[in-house]
Amino acid sequence: MFTTIFRYELRYWLRQPSAYIYAALFFLIATGSMAAQAGIFGERLAVPGLAPLANSPQSIHDMMAFFLKLILFLIPAILGLSIYRDYRSNMHTLLYSYPFTRRSYLPAKFFSSFLILAGIVSTIGIGFVVGARLPWVDPALVGPFQPAAYLQTYLVYILPNILLFGAIVFAVVAFTRNIYAGFITIVLLLLMQVLAGSLLGDEGHRFTMAILDPFGQAASAYYTRYWTFTERNELLLPVQGVVVYNRLLWLGVAALIFGLAYKSFAFHHYGRPVGLKNKAGERSVKNNFGSITKVNLSKVAYDFSFRQHLQNMWALSGFEFKYILRSWLFISILIVGIAMVFFQQAQMNPQFGFKTLPVTWKMLMVPTFMFLGVVHLLTFLYAGMLVHRARIARADQLVDSSPVPNWVFLFSKLIALIRMQVVLLSLIMVGGIMVQLANGYYKLEIGLYVFQLFGLYLPGLIIWAFAALFVQTLFNNPYLGLFLLILGSMGVAGLPELGVDHYVFRYNLAPEFAYSALDGFGATLPPWLLYKTYWMLGGLSLLMGALLLWARGLPFSFSERLKIAKARFQGRTAAASLLFLLSFLGLGLGIYYEDNYGYGKINSAEEEEEWKVENEKRYKRYEHLVQPRITAVNLNMDIFPERRDFKAKGRYTLVNRSAQTIDTLLVNYSYDEETTYHLGKAARLLSSDTFIRLALYVLEPGLAPGDSMKMYFEVWNEPNSLFRTSSPIVYNGTYFNNGVFPGLGYRPIELTDNGKRAQYGLPPRNNERPHPSDSTALSNSYASRDADWIAFEATVSTSEDQIAIAPGYLQKEWVENGRRFFHYKMDSQIKDYYGFNSGRFEVKRDKWEEVGLEIYYHKGHEYNLSSMMKGLKGALAYNTRHFSPYQHKQARIIEFPATVGRFATTFANSIPFSEGHFIADVDSAKKESIDFPFYVSAHEMAHQWWGNQLIPADVLGARMLTESMAEYTALKVLEKEYGKSQMRRFLQLDLDLYLRGRGRESEQERPLMYAELGQDYINYRKGALVFYALSDYLGEEKLNGAIKAYLQKVRFQDAPYTTSIEMLEYIREATPDSLSYLIEDLFETITLYDNRVADVRITPLANGQFQVEIELAISKYRSDGKGKRFFGTETGDSLSYQTESMKTPLLSLPLQDYIEVGIFGEATLDGEPQKVELYLQKHKITRIDYRLTIVVNQKPVEVGVDPYNKLIDVNSQDNRRGI
Amino acid sequence: MQLIISNLTKAYPNGVKAVDGLSLEAGAGMFGLLGPNGAGKSTLMRTIATLQNPDSGSITFNGIDVLNNPMALRRILGYLPQEFGVYPNVSAENLLDYFATLKGVASRAARRKLIEEVLEITNLYEVRKKQVDSYSGGMKQRFGIAQLLLNNPQLIIVDEPTAGLDPAERKRFLNILREVGARNTVIFSTHIVDDVKGLCNEMAIMNGGRILQHTTPAAATAALQGQVWTSTARRAALESMEAKYDVLSSSYHSNDAINVRVQAAERPSPDFTPAEPQLEDVYFMALKKDNLNLNL
Repeated sequence: MFTTIFRYELRYWLRQPSAYIYAALFFLIATGSMAAQAGIFGERLAVPGLAPLANSPQSIHDMMAFFLKLILFLIPAILGLSIYRDYRSNMHTLLYSYPFTRRSYLPAKFFSSFLILAGIVSTIGIGFVVGARLPWVDPALVGPFQPAAYLQTYLVYILPNILLFGAIVFAVVAFTRNIYAGFITIVLLLLMQVLAGSLLGDEGHRFTMAILDPFGQAASAYYTRYWTFTERNELLLPVQGVVVYNRLLWLGVAALIFGLAYKSFAFHHYGRPVGLKNKAGERSVKNNFGSITKVNLSKVAYDFSFRQHLQNMWALSGFEFKYILRSWLFISILIVGIAMVFFQQAQMNPQFGFKTLPVTWKMLMVPTFMFLGVVHLLTFLYAGMLVHRARIARADQLVDSSPVPNWVFLFSKLIALIRMQVVLLSLIMVGGIMVQLANGYYKLEIGLYVFQLFGLYLPGLIIWAFAALFVQTLFNNPYLGLFLLILGSMGVAGLPELGVDHYVFRYNLAPEFAYSALDGFGATLPPWLLYKTYWMLGGLSLLMGALLLWARGLPFSFSERLKIAKARFQGRTAAASLLFLLSFLGLGLGIYYEDNYGYGKINSAEEEEEWKVENEKRYKRYEHLVQPRITAVNLNMDIFPERRDFKAKGRYTLVNRSAQTIDTLLVNYSYDEETTYHLGKAARLLSSDTFIRLALYVLEPGLAPGDSMKMYFEVWNEPNSLFRTSSPIVYNGTYFNNGVFPGLGYRPIELTDNGKRAQYGLPPRNNERPHPSDSTALSNSYASRDADWIAFEATVSTSEDQIAIAPGYLQKEWVENGRRFFHYKMDSQIKDYYGFNSGRFEVKRDKWEEVGLEIYYHKGHEYNLSSMMKGLKGALAYNTRHFSPYQHKQARIIEFPATVGRFATTFANSIPFSEGHFIADVDSAKKESIDFPFYVSAHEMAHQWWGNQLIPADVLGARMLTESMAEYTALKVLEKEYGKSQMRRFLQLDLDLYLRGRGRESEQERPLMYAELGQDYINYRKGALVFYALSDYLGEEKLNGAIKAYLQKVRFQDAPYTTSIEMLEYIREATPDSLSYLIEDLFETITLYDNRVADVRITPLANGQFQVEIELAISKYRSDGKGKRFFGTETGDSLSYQTESMKTPLLSLPLQDYIEVGIFGEATLDGEPQKVELYLQKHKITRIDYRLTIVVNQKPVEVGVDPYNKLIDVNSQDNRRGI
Repeated sequence: MQLIISNLTKAYPNGVKAVDGLSLEAGAGMFGLLGPNGAGKSTLMRTIATLQNPDSGSITFNGIDVLNNPMALRRILGYLPQEFGVYPNVSAENLLDYFATLKGVASRAARRKLIEEVLEITNLYEVRKKQVDSYSGGMKQRFGIAQLLLNNPQLIIVDEPTAGLDPAERKRFLNILREVGARNTVIFSTHIVDDVKGLCNEMAIMNGGRILQHTTPAAATAALQGQVWTSTARRAALESMEAKYDVLSSSYHSNDAINVRVQAAERPSPDFTPAEPQLEDVYFMALKKDNLNLNL
């Protein structure tokens, strides 16, 4: 019997067009995704051989994970449908009386549809294989075809997941006899996945999450998160340990669920009631007599007016809304949804950053991405359920023959969807307020909640509801409709991959708005509203389409529906349809035209490319032309916050600092701003290029060595329009820097993609910065191509209610014509990097010795001011004591909106600081909470030394001298303030970010002293670890002494500028021979450890002491730029260790290393149990298996190798081991 | 009260002409549409009920051009399809409220009153709080009548409503229809001859998409007066009788003999005795004639 049903089912599916549509769609999308990944549309890579392979096992796995989301919604449409079909057609009343048992019925249904689904999803893999082999892909991005990679992803992940979720859906549909329950179950499971992620997403629960993640993604990520470039390209995914446990666990769960469904399944006419009450049955006998009745209905008024239709529309929407709301599945979604929102908001992703206070805009921001996605899904799903509701219930003939116009039905369903969306959106508000109250935060901005949720998000959701109603009306198959809608919503997000990035082509997308407490929504709302209006019109056009195609009566052919639609296209319907469609098209055209042609600036990626090519072709030859240097800047900067405009008037003093006369001057000016200028010296204009925005002059006579000249300029922004903001000025909290002003010489902004360069006939380009050993590359600092050190003076004006700030000391402040003026002047020379701030600020003032300290902050953001002050003072104290005096008399922090940026930066004596730091949530009561505002203030203040006293040359490794040193200073300041106990957490965070960063590296990792300027994970994270470790090994005083000597030499120096090599010479000198390996490991190479405690034995001794025997496993290796591991420096010198129980030997570089070993006991400090060091000592280790025996006075609870994570260790979790 | 159907044709994509150039007029009262399964009754009914568009032809009711102005008809239409479902998990009361809203009863109080009345009429008042999808077949049909009555319809179309009802339910159902049909036009399709007898003042026999005979039950039987003869025969003799005579129907007796009814102008043979014409005889005669036409 099994075979008969199985075959019958297979034959059924093979006759269904939808099965082929799904398969074809999967195949096409998979082919397209792989081809896109393999560079069919996009950039070719700069360095061949460094390509991330599109078809590497990891890449296939990642792309599959994306497809899995789509597959999930096919599970109800196929596995669920297979069993639902018999109920829908009432076939079950017949079938269930046939002589077969559930033993053949259920498995046959399940496995036949599973086979079909497996067949459909197999087209994804085939699509990948084909996509990677299309003739136009970049062969450098495609690796060899690895069947194992496909087998792995299917057999370990995709198929087991289909089994698991299939079993769940199958059980739910069999139980409820309702296929939509299957779909909602999928949404529910996705929500729970996110919920689990936010509950267990942190480092401590990594293992649990890896075991429990039903999709298995966390399990594979458990092993692959630090994978480097080479590993990602070459290795198969691990099928071991947690991956195996995870898969076995969930396959077991799948079997269990299927077993339960099987056991409780009954061949009954009626499904099981879902409910708590089970009424006792009673004998019922109906009245069989007295059948003559009088039909005499009372006269009631029948109202078919338009007004009544409107009222009915609302009433009917209530009827539909109740249908949505009153299902236990929807209620479960609400419950899980609010939990998800709550935990996401409560956590606010502190994993890689810092926790912020639960301010309302954060509450609104945090959960929206995931949650709005869920609302989209539910909109798509319920649109199908509502549109087809009458037909599914077979009540369509009754409903359709009632005197209700089509629009009343359609709009009532639309309103029901909107009411559902409102309910779901309000969860964000409820969750947010709950989190705020739970944290004792009482500034509930209800107005902001309501405005953003219902004024901004809701229209976007409604636009999707229009599309959903249209698609679900168009297709008779609601599952196909749902699938296409999901695909469509993913598609509009993915269109840029295909080179279509303009918002007018991407349904319901608009440039994002952003909120800041300082600036509100700033200028982000108008363009957003414009695009939403545009898409609202598009959506309304679709809605009119749905109205025209609305199915009334019995199913007709599509051509008949078109005929009916044509007949309906008249009167008001036609007028409205045309109005919406034409205004949609008109507005779209207008936006597109305005964006592409109505605008002078460089706009699209193509224009930018053209600019770069022309810039290089026309002016590259002047790259090494000697130009005068800017030595003084004098500015009048007028900021108009209410208009978001600025106008600057300035004067440069240019000096010929070379030994030869300069007769040619190249002036370049901003391609975003408007600029006029003139030279304060006789000069002949040779050429003026308004496209590149560069002019060539011949100076007459030339500028002799040592001579100076003036240059005068005016710069202002292009006018702002509804479409676009053309200036960096915001209503409140402006921050921008000197990038808007003219410069001198050739701008080396060039095309870096060598494939494209070849197309344009440009020679291959070496995109690396020069090596620090290249003595010809040291004439410019990393900060400027135009200047060395400058004198700075500026008068900044702004509106009367704002304070404007520039570097320097305030000389004078006055009000004139309703505007406020500030005159700043710097008394010493600074580097050529400065900026301006303007806002309605409160000011907090303090002093450190003779240095005046100020914080300009937004009213209400007082939370972390004292931490920031402490950070400034800490860095001042530490650097003054260890390195050199502070060069200015003042230091100030100025807040700018989070919408402008999330960073902090340092000008001479001025430190603009993002709003985010001002609302950081520092729980000073909790010991493990890290005081980020303190830390960042210390870091930025330290830049007054590292980057403002010391300026490195623009070569590799420059930022080791600025960022690594600022991080090191901040760590030391933090340690002084908070003690060593905070350091481990901090170092672990740095280590994790470094390891993740190198895993994501797409070009090549470099040793610290040769890092590129953009490699933050090296310059910041590894740099902090390296200098902290070095100070531990050499001693703080000794290291700082060396650095001090170095700083004395290079402080305020001119070209040739200093490099990492020069600094390392000082450090090397201070390093004893026994530790010289550190220089090589930490600075010159990429070296990592994999150390762990292999075993511990404790023996209590008679005298009350404890003998601790520890066995360590020490391993050290080098990595090349692509992440390939090397255990030896030359052939045959690597260490190896293997016991009988080990399958593969442990390997290591030769060891002569000093590594810390610690033993910890427990003690009660301040009423809390705390770990205390019983023993901490560096041991010289020369072999992989290192054993030692130590006697301690107290009972040990934990031992550790490198217990404070001072070394760079790929697994910092196994360094300590509890007893 | 006049339903006029002229030259109505509807062909399905599979080539079947469900309605074939059909013309029909029906006034106030019960109009029985009698025909075998597959005669095209349901298609005709659905077309009148504005749920299907014919390929050609026209329908008017009381001056309403049904095909071009379906909404006007729907206001005064009561329709009970042959097979219908209801929204699950909704009580009869609430579902009737939903339908009453659809049918334009604006005031809540009026709806409540009306619903109470139709529940009383259909004897569903006791179970008004129960979910309709848990009703038995007879109760569900009565619910169908209840929803039909809500807009006080002038044209009532009921498609094979009595199939599957027990005798008591069937009686009750027909009686209600009869009550309603006194003042309105009721088109009532069935393949059960007895339903038409005595209940309908007009009837038509339909097969193959055409009206074979349009008459009244009384006139139809009267016209056959003296033309129907009956006899008993053994099973073995049946074939020869069928060849010889115009056999209308034959049915088993309890004693294994077969009762044969034959149409003839004169007594066909001495074995036959005259029989009182039944509506069933009219029905079979019409079908038979149609078959003969087809076979020619």
